[in-house]
Amino acid sequence: MALGDLLTVSIRRAFLPLLVMASMSGSLARAAPDASSAAQDIYASAPPRLLQIRTLVADAGQRQTSVGSGFLVSADGLAVTNYHVVSQFVLEPKTYRLEYAAADGSHGEVRVLGVDLPNDLAIVRLDKQDAPFFSFDAAAMAGNLAKGQRLYSMGNPLDLGFTISEGTYNGLVEHSYSEQIHFTGALNPGMSGGPTVTAEGAVVGVNVATRRGGQLISFLVPARFAAALVERVRGREAPSDLRAEVARQLTDSRTALYKAFAEKDFRSDTIGPYRAPATAVPWFDCWSSTNAGGIPKPRASINSISCSSETGVFVASDLHTGAIQISHSYVRSVDLNQFQLAAVLTQQSQPRLVGGGPFRKWYTPERCQEDFVRVAADAMHPPLRVIWCSQGYRPFEGLYDVVLTAVTQDQGSEALVSRLSLQAVGYDDAMSIGRRFLEAVQVAK
Amino acid sequence: MIWVEILSRQQEVAARFRIVGTEARIGRAYTNDVIVDDPYVAPEHLRLFRDEAGGLVVEDMGTANGVYLDGSKQRLARVLVDGRQPIRIGQTYLRIREGNFAVEPERIGRAERHALPLLLAAILCVALVAIDEVRTWLNQTSEVQPTTYLAPVLGVVIAVPIWAGVWALLSRIFSGRSFFIRHLLITLTGGLVISLYNEVAQFSAYALSWTAPLTYSFGPTWLVVAVMCFFHLTMIGPPRPWLKGSIVAGLLVVALAAQVLQLTEAFFRSGRQNTMRLLMPPALRIAPLRDEAAFFTEIGKLKSTIDADRAKAGPDDALR
Repeated sequence: MALGDLLTVSIRRAFLPLLVMASMSGSLARAAPDASSAAQDIYASAPPRLLQIRTLVADAGQRQTSVGSGFLVSADGLAVTNYHVVSQFVLEPKTYRLEYAAADGSHGEVRVLGVDLPNDLAIVRLDKQDAPFFSFDAAAMAGNLAKGQRLYSMGNPLDLGFTISEGTYNGLVEHSYSEQIHFTGALNPGMSGGPTVTAEGAVVGVNVATRRGGQLISFLVPARFAAALVERVRGREAPSDLRAEVARQLTDSRTALYKAFAEKDFRSDTIGPYRAPATAVPWFDCWSSTNAGGIPKPRASINSISCSSETGVFVASDLHTGAIQISHSYVRSVDLNQFQLAAVLTQQSQPRLVGGGPFRKWYTPERCQEDFVRVAADAMHPPLRVIWCSQGYRPFEGLYDVVLTAVTQDQGSEALVSRLSLQAVGYDDAMSIGRRFLEAVQVAK
Repeated sequence: MIWVEILSRQQEVAARFRIVGTEARIGRAYTNDVIVDDPYVAPEHLRLFRDEAGGLVVEDMGTANGVYLDGSKQRLARVLVDGRQPIRIGQTYLRIREGNFAVEPERIGRAERHALPLLLAAILCVALVAIDEVRTWLNQTSEVQPTTYLAPVLGVVIAVPIWAGVWALLSRIFSGRSFFIRHLLITLTGGLVISLYNEVAQFSAYALSWTAPLTYSFGPTWLVVAVMCFFHLTMIGPPRPWLKGSIVAGLLVVALAAQVLQLTEAFFRSGRQNTMRLLMPPALRIAPLRDEAAFFTEIGKLKSTIDADRAKAGPDDALR
């Protein structure tokens, strides 16, 4: 269970204070000289193209509240960074302001031209003309990078100064909804938004996250998304209010997510005498657990399957939403009577609407409906006790969090508790997915 | 023979003096036949004697504070006492009776009169504990621990006597009698009603899918407590049902308002309803199974509630 928790926790932003740098190349005797000379070349040429991007409180002088990295991609001052590096400013432009600091000590104002919320990217413009800039790697843009290739990740970790961290390209992350590069190398806080480049210095991806609890497991946004966003906003003036754009991108990306999720019918997993709905989409991570080894010996056996999608997106520092969860618990009495088993089921079936952030800021109050439901009058569909709870997003019209819980009511001595949790979903999408979910809860016989 | 009785505020006899002669003096000084230890009483306060008709008369001996009939504000120089209505000097009540005063006939004491209430109290007590024990047993989903079964017994054994005891004490102070058994019966009945109400509310939340009685169970609970307090109060001091009823009703309204306010605040802060979604054995279901379409029609209606919540909250509140 502990491992399951660890790994089902979705991608966490790079906030690990790790300072290990390129130490793993020691055993690769032949590669080492080339790699380090490449690193030296990059070290010599990259700094003027790199930026530190600081978020400052508008009324609080020169002290930053957060720092990230960024890199120039055009001679007229366009730079790429992460959305989460500039999100405070984007969401609350009156409270915060943005500044860049370059390696030569220059600094100045930064304007945000556009964001790509699902890929966690932002394009900013600097008042810096004719500065050297990075170009995107052609092989990476075409998706032809070779696994195992050396890559160099750059940024300004922990505000300690310009740093290169060496690592390996491991292809795209498997079972992932959004396309991300799996990079084995150290990414540290403050390196978010920095580039990861080949030995020739061409950009392959944008540093975005590490996995908490992993060792050197890091993620990059593929360069082609950054290039596409640059093309989209080139020549555009800085929009006065990007919040509507954030809301629109969140809504659009979640609509697309739930469309992709709803396209595949629910398969069924057999669990005890029941068939429980399981999704056929590949970007779910499933774990099972049991209370069989518990001390004192459990009086009801509970075997569970829990699947979650790593589809959450960073919206704000206190809102990370858009994940889907499906879980089933098969509860069978060992020596409990029907009332006692019902008490166990009561504990197992509380709706537990999990928001992605603090309630008062982001959500409307929870509203619930519960009843006995018969999906179809045949032996395959058991009577269900169904609880539906949902809440809306205060700033995002048309998005809701929904949790649907169904408990089978055909037996007094055993039951299946099935739960479907949808974050940031359209209400009608949630209802149609919910209906199909209930229809897929069946008796196996 | 004359008897002079000094009464407490509750009109109970605190001291009694027998006067053998035809005349007596009452006051604070040791020269008196009846000594009254009250600083508001004069050293020589009253003279007690028989008038021509043979009636008992008290006479004010020229004091500062005078003499009054109980309940009257009119100062009197002389009072013809009848043996029933006390008189007041200073802060002390006196009752003066003839030696041949006709007392009430002997009350009939019957053993059965006390057995029935006691039996009833015992039955209520057992019922109250039994309901709690059964509830504990039916919720015992982990290892059996005997101490969990001790809690309901201790609750009834400690809380009920304390509650009934406090009321009995008040009765004793203000009406002279404690009525402990009656207070106990009121307490146990109230407790049992609350307990049964909760069971019914839980049952209806599951079997009928009707959660309102459980969600708002604090309402009936406060009502029962108020009714209990009313009956407790009627046994304290004079009956005055309208006055006591309106005091209790007023307190009930205040309690309900405070609870509603507290729940509203909690809901506003957390956005979660404080409702347990209860399950029971499927055999207890009474409500018919809804078909899926009808259930989702209801769910569709929730959307407008949530959208109304959103409109009320104001969309720009979060992002400023």
